[in-house]
Amino acid sequence: MTGWLTPDEWGVVALSLRVSLAAVLFTLPLAYALAWLLARRRFPGRILLDALVHMPLVLPPVVTGWLLLLLFGRNGPVGGWLEANFGVTLVFRWTGAALAAAVMALPLMVRAMRLSIEAVDRRLVSAARTLGASPWRAFLTITLPLSAPGIAAGAMLGFARSLGEFGATITFASNIAGETRTLPLAIYSGLQLPGGEALVTRLSIISVVLSVAALVVSEWLVRRSAGARAHVL
Amino acid sequence: MSFDVSLRHGIGERQIDLAFISTARLTALVGPSGAGKTTVLNCIAGLIRPDEGRIAVGDHVLFDSATGLFLPPERRRAGYVFQEGRLFPHLRVAANLAYGERLAPAEDRWIGQGEVTDLLGIGHLLHRMPATLSGGEARRVAIGRALLSGARFLLLDEPFASLDAARAEEILQLVERIRDELAIPILLVSHDRTEVDRLAGQVVPMA
Amino acid sequence: MFARLADLLRAFALIMLLSLVAACGAPSQPENATAGKGPVVLAAASLQEALTEVAGAWAAQGHPAPVLSFAGSSALARQVEQGAPADLFVSADEEWMDVLDRQGLVRPGTRADLLSNRIVLIAPADGTAKSLADLGDGRLALADPDAVPAGKYAKAALEHLGQWAAVSGRIAPAENVRAALALVERGEAPLGIVYATDARASGKVRLVETLPEDSHPPIRYPVAILSASTHPDAAALRAFLASPEAMRIFASHGFGTVE
Repeated sequence: MTGWLTPDEWGVVALSLRVSLAAVLFTLPLAYALAWLLARRRFPGRILLDALVHMPLVLPPVVTGWLLLLLFGRNGPVGGWLEANFGVTLVFRWTGAALAAAVMALPLMVRAMRLSIEAVDRRLVSAARTLGASPWRAFLTITLPLSAPGIAAGAMLGFARSLGEFGATITFASNIAGETRTLPLAIYSGLQLPGGEALVTRLSIISVVLSVAALVVSEWLVRRSAGARAHVL
Repeated sequence: MSFDVSLRHGIGERQIDLAFISTARLTALVGPSGAGKTTVLNCIAGLIRPDEGRIAVGDHVLFDSATGLFLPPERRRAGYVFQEGRLFPHLRVAANLAYGERLAPAEDRWIGQGEVTDLLGIGHLLHRMPATLSGGEARRVAIGRALLSGARFLLLDEPFASLDAARAEEILQLVERIRDELAIPILLVSHDRTEVDRLAGQVVPMA
Repeated sequence: MFARLADLLRAFALIMLLSLVAACGAPSQPENATAGKGPVVLAAASLQEALTEVAGAWAAQGHPAPVLSFAGSSALARQVEQGAPADLFVSADEEWMDVLDRQGLVRPGTRADLLSNRIVLIAPADGTAKSLADLGDGRLALADPDAVPAGKYAKAALEHLGQWAAVSGRIAPAENVRAALALVERGEAPLGIVYATDARASGKVRLVETLPEDSHPPIRYPVAILSASTHPDAAALRAFLASPEAMRIFASHGFGTVE
């Protein structure tokens, strides 16, 4: 089996998995916080926040990549600050690819989590309050566990999306072998070379298998949570 | 121990204006549906902040608009048994019962799980998930959970609703036993006058 | 929940219907040879400004404007291999033209070397690097050295100068020389190697050093008519590209002649 892909190609798969995993893990708390804010809180500018969160979903990925470049490039406000204070650069690094993937995955994760938080009956939270739970404890013991299937589903969806992320990655992090050349970029590079069909076919098969697996797991998790466990009985 | 409640609160188009003092062991709040009885319970439990008024149970002032005092629900020690039960679906019965108990300071826990399960006859249900309980069983677990949370007083919202006659009678007898054996004041909401007359030491009508 | 799904499906169906109507309603693209469009020219990315101006001069003479597509020569060669309906191909090195020639994709007798160029080491306009030694932690931007001509010339030059081994692990390969230029312009890469004509076309980079001409194979831009060409103007355009007027325009952008 290991002879089917060259070591370089296995490296591409490993890099893709690492980038996607990092993207999802680091975005998870932010996605949940945003989901909770949008599900449970009314505040001025709420619709704006909702639109902002969904922007990467509807903007052309290249535009998102370019905006990332403006912000996180070496000359950008955040990128320049990171470099000056921590010596951290994101362009050309796998962390930059992870950031691009994270931004593209965020809207999907927020949507899935928001749905599951909204499905948690607020009367259960009030009941917990009357039993002596502070708002934070009620959140930890009631809302969080009951929305957990949504967290898992959102994470899987975000992971699948990250695996397929191309436009923002290549625009922001560039196409550096071993650092940012994830599966989609490697396939694209292969397409640019005359005679790259075999490589493209092999990598594409892997890409399809990984994406389908992630989607199947995500669907299964959504169905599990749809067992109306979050409702008052 | 007494309920000393006066409150004014607008909800939707209705205006609730209620004042009563009761030292009875069990006080009943009666009125047609839509009168705002559940709202009154929510105000006493701290889930709603009334526009104006003062709420005290025993020596403890829970709310006073004149001084701006408003205790959050988790500090009121109210044992609220909701009309819909509101058992936590992801926890077994035993964990539901223990939920409030674990949060109550030791000195406030005046009753133990053994006594509660005996009184309510729910000992055989401890390992069950709430979704598998019948209406009557769920109602009893809800009462047990409220008692175990270190409650200083009980709020019962339509405790006999949606139960067949036999189950309702069971719950009724339970409430009688709680009223008589446990020294905890009860405020009960009902639209059924017959149940109320049987249990209540004082009846407060709502328009 | 069901109501939302139904609404979603309805909206989706409406969008699909509208798209279909728009697609059907749009005037169908005429094939190459019909009125309006000139020959399709696939050209190396470094020719962007110069060839656009030459094509404009051609159109000013009353001919239908050529359709220009710029990319790395390797990517263009691939498109031709895959059967892209193009008329002319201008590559940035002989090798990609050879690849097509060997497969019979080039019309015999139409191939010739059109232009020459030099490669240079550049830095951002406000950058401080004075030579490759100043690369430090940064990356050297260049076109993909495995496939794209500009990158291949750069690698050959650095190998010849004994500097390739030191930098080969610290490159930022771009898919064409203009993308490499952009990396340096933005300051993401402290140094880059591009064509002299690219450095000249950009106002945001500073020339650090011109690489010695003898350190790499001579940079030649061959042009040819492709076998698949059907446009009646193809041969005339091909001739125009070599004309004195076109050569004047190329020279004004910094390209050298070959003769």
